[in-house]
Amino acid sequence: MPPLTEHIVLRDLDIPNIRDFDVYLQHGGYEAFRSAVTEKTPAEIIGMVKDAGLRGRGGAGFPTGVKWGFLPKDVFPRYLLCNCDESEPGTFNNHQIIDRNPHQLIEGIALSAYAVECHTAYIYIRGEFAAAARTLDAAIQNAYAKGFLGKNILGTGYDLDVFVHRGAGAYICGEETALMESLEGKIGQPRLKPPFPAVAGLYAKPTIINNVETLANVPMIIGKGVQWYRQFGTEKSPGTKAFSLSGHVNNPGNYELPFGLPLRELIYAPEYGGGMRGDRPVKIVIPGGASAPWLTADKLDITLDYEGVAAAGSMLGSGAVIVLDETVSAVELAYKMDEFFKHESCGKCTPCREGTWYLTKVLHRVSTGHGHANDIPLLHDVYNQMAGNCFCLLGESAVSPIRSALKLFPEEFEAAIRNGTPRQAPRLAIPLVAVAAD
Amino acid sequence: MPDVSVTIDGTQINVPVGTNVVDAARLAGVAVPVFCYHPKMKPVGMCRMCLVEVYTPKVDPATRQVVMGEDGKPVLALMMNKLQTGCTTPISEGMVVNTASDRVKFAQKGVLEFLLTSHPLDCPVCDKGGECPLQNLTMQWGPDSSRFDYEDKIHFEKPIPLGDLILLDRERCILCSRCVRFEDELADDNVLGFGSRGRSWEIISKSTPAFDSKFSGNTTDICPVGALTSSDFRFKARVWELKSTPSVCNLCPVGCNTSLDMRYNELMRVMPRENDAVNEIWVCDKGRYGHRYAVQENRLTTPLIKRNGEFVSATWEQAYSLIAERLGSYSGAQVAGLAGPKLPNEDLFSFARLFRENLGSNNLDHRPGSPADLPLDDLPRTYGVGKGTNLMTLGKGTAVLVIGADPEEEAPLYQLRLRAIAQRGGDLTVVSGYPTKLERSATRKVRVKPGTEAQFALALVQAVAAEKLASEEVLGSGRLKFSDEYRRVLAAHKFDDLVAATGLAREVVITTAKAFASAEHGIIVYGRSAAADPAIPQALAAFAALTGKLGKANSGLIALRPGGNFRGALDMGVRPDAAGQPGLSAQQVWQQAGTGVKAVYIAALNPAAENPAAAQALQKLDFVVVQDLFLTETAQYADVVLPAAAVIEREGTFTNAERREQRFRQARQAPANLPADWQSFQAVAQLLAERAPVAVAARTLKKGAKVFTPEAPQGWTAMLTSDVNDMVTRSVSGYNAASYSALSTSRGAWGRQPNEAVYYDGTSYENTEGVGIQIAASAEDSRTTLQLNLSAPALRPVGELVLLPVARAYDGGDWVRGSKLSARQVPAHIIMSVADTARLDVGIGELVTVSSAAGSITLPVQIETGLDLGVALLPEVRGSTLGALLTGAQTAITVVKA
Ligand SMILES: Cc1cc2nc3c(=O)[nH]c(=O)nc-3n(C[C@H](O)[C@H](O)[C@H](O)COP(=O)(O)O)c2cc1C
Ligand code: SF4
Ligand code: SF4
Ligand code: SF4
Ligand code: FES
Repeated sequence: MPPLTEHIVLRDLDIPNIRDFDVYLQHGGYEAFRSAVTEKTPAEIIGMVKDAGLRGRGGAGFPTGVKWGFLPKDVFPRYLLCNCDESEPGTFNNHQIIDRNPHQLIEGIALSAYAVECHTAYIYIRGEFAAAARTLDAAIQNAYAKGFLGKNILGTGYDLDVFVHRGAGAYICGEETALMESLEGKIGQPRLKPPFPAVAGLYAKPTIINNVETLANVPMIIGKGVQWYRQFGTEKSPGTKAFSLSGHVNNPGNYELPFGLPLRELIYAPEYGGGMRGDRPVKIVIPGGASAPWLTADKLDITLDYEGVAAAGSMLGSGAVIVLDETVSAVELAYKMDEFFKHESCGKCTPCREGTWYLTKVLHRVSTGHGHANDIPLLHDVYNQMAGNCFCLLGESAVSPIRSALKLFPEEFEAAIRNGTPRQAPRLAIPLVAVAAD
Repeated sequence: MPDVSVTIDGTQINVPVGTNVVDAARLAGVAVPVFCYHPKMKPVGMCRMCLVEVYTPKVDPATRQVVMGEDGKPVLALMMNKLQTGCTTPISEGMVVNTASDRVKFAQKGVLEFLLTSHPLDCPVCDKGGECPLQNLTMQWGPDSSRFDYEDKIHFEKPIPLGDLILLDRERCILCSRCVRFEDELADDNVLGFGSRGRSWEIISKSTPAFDSKFSGNTTDICPVGALTSSDFRFKARVWELKSTPSVCNLCPVGCNTSLDMRYNELMRVMPRENDAVNEIWVCDKGRYGHRYAVQENRLTTPLIKRNGEFVSATWEQAYSLIAERLGSYSGAQVAGLAGPKLPNEDLFSFARLFRENLGSNNLDHRPGSPADLPLDDLPRTYGVGKGTNLMTLGKGTAVLVIGADPEEEAPLYQLRLRAIAQRGGDLTVVSGYPTKLERSATRKVRVKPGTEAQFALALVQAVAAEKLASEEVLGSGRLKFSDEYRRVLAAHKFDDLVAATGLAREVVITTAKAFASAEHGIIVYGRSAAADPAIPQALAAFAALTGKLGKANSGLIALRPGGNFRGALDMGVRPDAAGQPGLSAQQVWQQAGTGVKAVYIAALNPAAENPAAAQALQKLDFVVVQDLFLTETAQYADVVLPAAAVIEREGTFTNAERREQRFRQARQAPANLPADWQSFQAVAQLLAERAPVAVAARTLKKGAKVFTPEAPQGWTAMLTSDVNDMVTRSVSGYNAASYSALSTSRGAWGRQPNEAVYYDGTSYENTEGVGIQIAASAEDSRTTLQLNLSAPALRPVGELVLLPVARAYDGGDWVRGSKLSARQVPAHIIMSVADTARLDVGIGELVTVSSAAGSITLPVQIETGLDLGVALLPEVRGSTLGALLTGAQTAITVVKA
């Protein structure tokens, strides 16, 4: 497949300065929304999104139109949440969309809100994205000024308010129910499901939550039609995906590709990754953010779509493709990754809170050359005691790095333990006492 | 609810729809280990201890039919293809649960290994050791060793105070959040929370003062480890050294069942004892920490006789003879007896006998004789909740009307029990003139103009007629009789005027009346502010009767009045209004001191402490006997002081607000072998009987004397408390079935299953010693006619401000001696609205002088944002000298900056 001549979400690459409101309007901005609110029913919009086969870009790839259809009839108010917590290591496309093409996101939110018949939408943005939050605020003001948001939008009687809410820096707050807790002012921890958000979400009201990229697709689907949209991608994964490519490639960055291109092309095509740094061979590819199981160099010919990556035993996840060469130690990589999950574990459930702590303690000693003889079976036990037993997917995700590392590179662990020396019990006979200065 | 059939570890059982797998397994006799789950709280699925394999019949997505296998049985599929937490998984038809597969065992071992990684394992010095679910579960389901490197353990500073009563050891905490959820869900005190995250996640107190809850002690029970310890008990004893004695708390009319945990003669701790109809598995902090007064050094141990203005020790014989001689020298009308409503029934019964039979006096009261005394009210005897009432079973279909009461302050456990009814779907209306905590849990929060509860109650009665809400059955029975006054009052108070007085919209009154009338069960709880005006209980009784909420289980009145055994005092006849035997009330006694009344015998009351008029009156009397544990303010005026055994040093019975009589046992040897109060009453009576054998028997037994009919007027021959109880069962109407052996009967309370101690250990004590007996309300006898009466509401006094006395749980009473709660007692203060304090230009803590027609006092101000302009609340706490100020149910006052 040739590179896209026309982008769907990263349209800043086609249209310079689309981040300016006027430029966005000149290029047909808010036309899809205008036609929708004046000519189409919410059900028709949901129907189009369903037909387009749009799948959630936040990680699970769940069909968006189907999700919208789960809303119980006649229960109001409802809420729409835009998830821009974007904290998965290696993921940075949401940031680019907001930074360079913010109006398309706001239009997507307005369209989706109209489709799910809600009058309040929140954008939950990770706290560190301070400038992006300001960009969004400005874009929202622009939309209010033109009457695309607010009361009686375009004279149709439809009302919608959109608010930006900055998080306080926790990966778990990207998990949909933890996000809702956080938005409600509580400690950011996932909720028990069911009830699912579509039934009882924010403030226990029916709630739809979607990723930034997912919502940014909607204006193009409505504006250009289902037919046009489905010409990109595959049957089961229609459209495009903004991949965040990082690691030891020559040109890291966000690349929007139609679903279905080979992984190799993303890494090596000159217009994308441009090959490996120093032409070293690929050792590990993590195709969907830190939570995704690792792939090795023999999997470079898989196609980048939900089905293709799943068939290879991993997942497309957030579309963050991390490519690493031989300079990386699998042990250290597993340690670093699990350090992340340990740091981000919310603490609610035992296997994740204690398991990530346990794993990193063992991984640290192995990776620093102090592994114990039976650390490999121990690691297997610990992640198996976590796998499938955690309260939410964060804990499950923490299993991926260590399981992948032990499965794909057992010899590195064996070597690290064999060549290392267990710590000679540096138990301090006399505890260190800080001597207070006079 | 319909049942569904499930199979758990091969046992097939039927359980109600909605039951979770853990509870279903309990019913099947299978123990699923849990940490975060507690049957009294919503499941949260956090600890992952209860992981089990759950299989459900496979359903064909096309036909929605269960797929059948070749063996003709449904094909089963592992739910979500992984283990499920049993506590959060509701059972469904055909479910098959496996709690003991290798996969489950691996997960259970995993969770326990995880929990123990950073656990300090300081069991040998941990208060929970011996009754610790973490120990128990580790023994049964855990790994036999840990592979975690000792050096990698996380350490926290050892216990840090969460508040003044509870300490937290973060190393021991397994982060199950039971404590936080108890406070949020059950107690409605949002005082605990979490700080930080991950392995640094920790319990924190969010309130000022820290851990500000009247139920905080319960968190130490339900904490599945020794992370929460109480400053009252920590490091005092190992639990296996303790001998527990069943007891009953008499600090308020709930009558919580407790266990007094003793080491030899020392009280180590007080624990709840389960009784689903009373306290479930909880007690309030007052009940848990407020029983240390008995073990104080300054207890009286010998009788004292005043000679030349000084108390000198005397022998019991000297004291008893002097009392008998002096009291016997007056006519019946000249002597009076005041016995406190915290005394057990046996003592109150004996006291009443002593006065009525041996002294020929009907001047009996259980109130201190202050202008703050509540008028007597015995309507619950007739209209009270019926036999078999159990609030724990109520929810949907029940309407509860709480009026003029602040349950958390007056009878703390009702806060939990009434809130729980609302949470289970019951309809809870809270009517009050000022903010109360319970109204936050109400279905309908009704804030009337302060002091207009009477108008509201009368409006309810009017609404019955207007909206045709009367029960056909009750009207048709012909049992209701209406007094002339009833008709006059109704005619004189129009619905619209009544509603207007309350400041409410008429719909509020009507929906409240309708919700109550249409419910299957209707309960009216009224407290201090309602009982102050007799018009209110009367109207409430009429409303309950008309709507058919009487004479049956779970319907009727519940009165909350001061004194843990006020109900017993009324039933035993320590009251000036006994039928056919009218006497002077305590207030009248003080008024006539020195003139009509010459001698007073006071037991377990301290009227001089709060009421300057009582102190003055005491000085005018010829002869005063005070019987108490301590040399109280009142005892200073006595001619003879008698010590007595404390509740924990003897046995007896109390009757609670729902008229449940409950038995408590002796836990401790009294110092100096002090007698129980009734023993002193009997000793005096015996001496009197020797002097004047049957002087008054005939009068006592005259017609209409219904309160009691002693079989042998001279029968002062009790050896044991049970002998007195035998007399009570024979003499006091309604108590005939309440023998000690009957009171000792138990039944499984909240459905404990064998083996449950393993994970609910330390939660509370299983009740094997008796859940008590509820005395039937007289309306339950269909032959009783029900005489309804009404009175005009007390007139709201005209003045700058209206003063309403309010009750406080932490009232600074004598119980607080030696208690960790002493620090929580607040000094006397007046509570005013924002507007009034602004007008007077006074800030929090500044002094004001409050004056009424009766007198004036100076005290600091507190501000309550929810309070109406023109109202002031005066909490009844030690030192408030309310008596100096009150002129009636409501008192007009003026307030100036002092
Ligand atoms: C630990 C964790 C973190 C997540 N973080 C994000 C995130 O930052 N952004 C996001 O869109 N979805 C995130 N998700 C997925 C969301 O829960 C949710 O599925 C998604 O927002 C749904 O949107 P979509 O259907 O448009 O993909 C996260 C999930 C988990 C378990
Ligand atoms: S798996 Fe458990 S501890 Fe980890 S983030 Fe989810 S709920 Fe929190
Ligand atoms: S203190 Fe106890 S009850 Fe509270 S979370 Fe910790 S272990 Fe659970
Ligand atoms: S609620 Fe009342 S009876 Fe129960 S423990 Fe508290 S004070 Fe005692
Ligand atoms: S998760 Fe079920 S008991 Fe904790």
